[in-house]
Amino acid sequence: MYEKYFDKIYRYVALKVGDRMEAEDITQQVFLKAIKSIASFKWKGFPFSSWLFRIAHNQIIDYLRKKTKREVVALDDTLLTSDDDPQLVFERKLDIEQLALATKKLTRAQQEVISLRFAGELPIAQVAKVMGRSEGAVKALQHSAVVTLRKVLTGIG
Amino acid sequence: MNKNREFENIFDDCLERLARGDTLMQCLESHPEQAEQLEPLLRTAQMARETSAILPHPEFRARARYEFHSALQEVVSKKRPSLFGLRTRLVTAMVALSIILVSGGGTVVMASSSMPDNPLYPLKLASEEVQMVLTPSDIDKAEVCFMQADRRVDEIVYLADKGDAQQVDVAAERLDECLETLVEIASPEEAEVVEEEALPRVLTVPTEEASVDGATEESVLTGDGDLNEMKTTVVCHAASNQSALLRKLMDAPESVKPALHRAITVSTIGYGRVLTIFD
Repeated sequence: MYEKYFDKIYRYVALKVGDRMEAEDITQQVFLKAIKSIASFKWKGFPFSSWLFRIAHNQIIDYLRKKTKREVVALDDTLLTSDDDPQLVFERKLDIEQLALATKKLTRAQQEVISLRFAGELPIAQVAKVMGRSEGAVKALQHSAVVTLRKVLTGIG
Repeated sequence: MNKNREFENIFDDCLERLARGDTLMQCLESHPEQAEQLEPLLRTAQMARETSAILPHPEFRARARYEFHSALQEVVSKKRPSLFGLRTRLVTAMVALSIILVSGGGTVVMASSSMPDNPLYPLKLASEEVQMVLTPSDIDKAEVCFMQADRRVDEIVYLADKGDAQQVDVAAERLDECLETLVEIASPEEAEVVEEEALPRVLTVPTEEASVDGATEESVLTGDGDLNEMKTTVVCHAASNQSALLRKLMDAPESVKPALHRAITVSTIGYGRVLTIFD
């Protein structure tokens, strides 16, 4: 469980909160909470990973509620990939800054779909379970989110 | 409206294919009518996916892993049997020994292959207790534990087939006790001391890396050979049992899947704890 989902949960959280230190704290809390709650895990017809992302989702909501003003540690300070090519790292930094800005133009639901789908790498069915929506609704959100991202990133519209 | 839905389905299908390793061109060729509309969106989605592929810092990863392992140990250690529990097991074993002496060996042989829904099953459990008590060395006791754990997994699979979720949970609890005993036998210090390097292990088939650098002084088992052999045995049993449970999860009735998930968790944590002893 830990090895399989640690990076995915971290990416999901990082993209949602946009702050490296907070992303680390929240990711750690997600797994500690999962251990404590494992006994109460009830099978509701969807995979364990959805349950884990649901915990992450709730932790993020808690964080956003209690969020206090403090210096943000930007995500571009996070390791982007294991590549050591400085040129590539620089280009990726630009990308993530652009993406972070662009996602702010999305609705909350669209942001959630993008985070779960691209950072968390969940299939549509699981995204739908985590968000409590139908697969059709999630596909529509995914499409509209990418259209908006495209417009923002290319300066159209 | 339907066209929109159709496009959203195609778009999602292409995203899945890209994630699986198909190229953009392959996706577009599959949907020539929508290709023009699809291409820019797929490129944007690809960029978003690649950009999201950030990795946590190694220091954070190591720290978080240690915290996770500590919390796991804490939860598992709360479930350790009490001294009273051990004494009860000894009494059970003595009673069982009497039953075996009175009833004769044939019944015990029949009981050894019985499943939890069989009237002879309590005798099977009792004879296992006796076997454990009468086994002198720790290495042999560990072997008995491995065999018992294998039996518990067989029982879980059997009960899952029957759709008996409640009994799957009971069998999983017995598996947990069995692996806990194995931990105690292999290293009595383990339950009290959380080693800094003792991190959870992914259960895999044995590899060259499965060798052990050296035995610790605290270990009950002596000699590198014993430890190497024991570690390989643990890995083999763990991998085999874990895959049996996972396979069963694929075709088990929906009603027993939650219980099977719990049994898999028990197996993962239990064998993981045993493996940490050899680190």
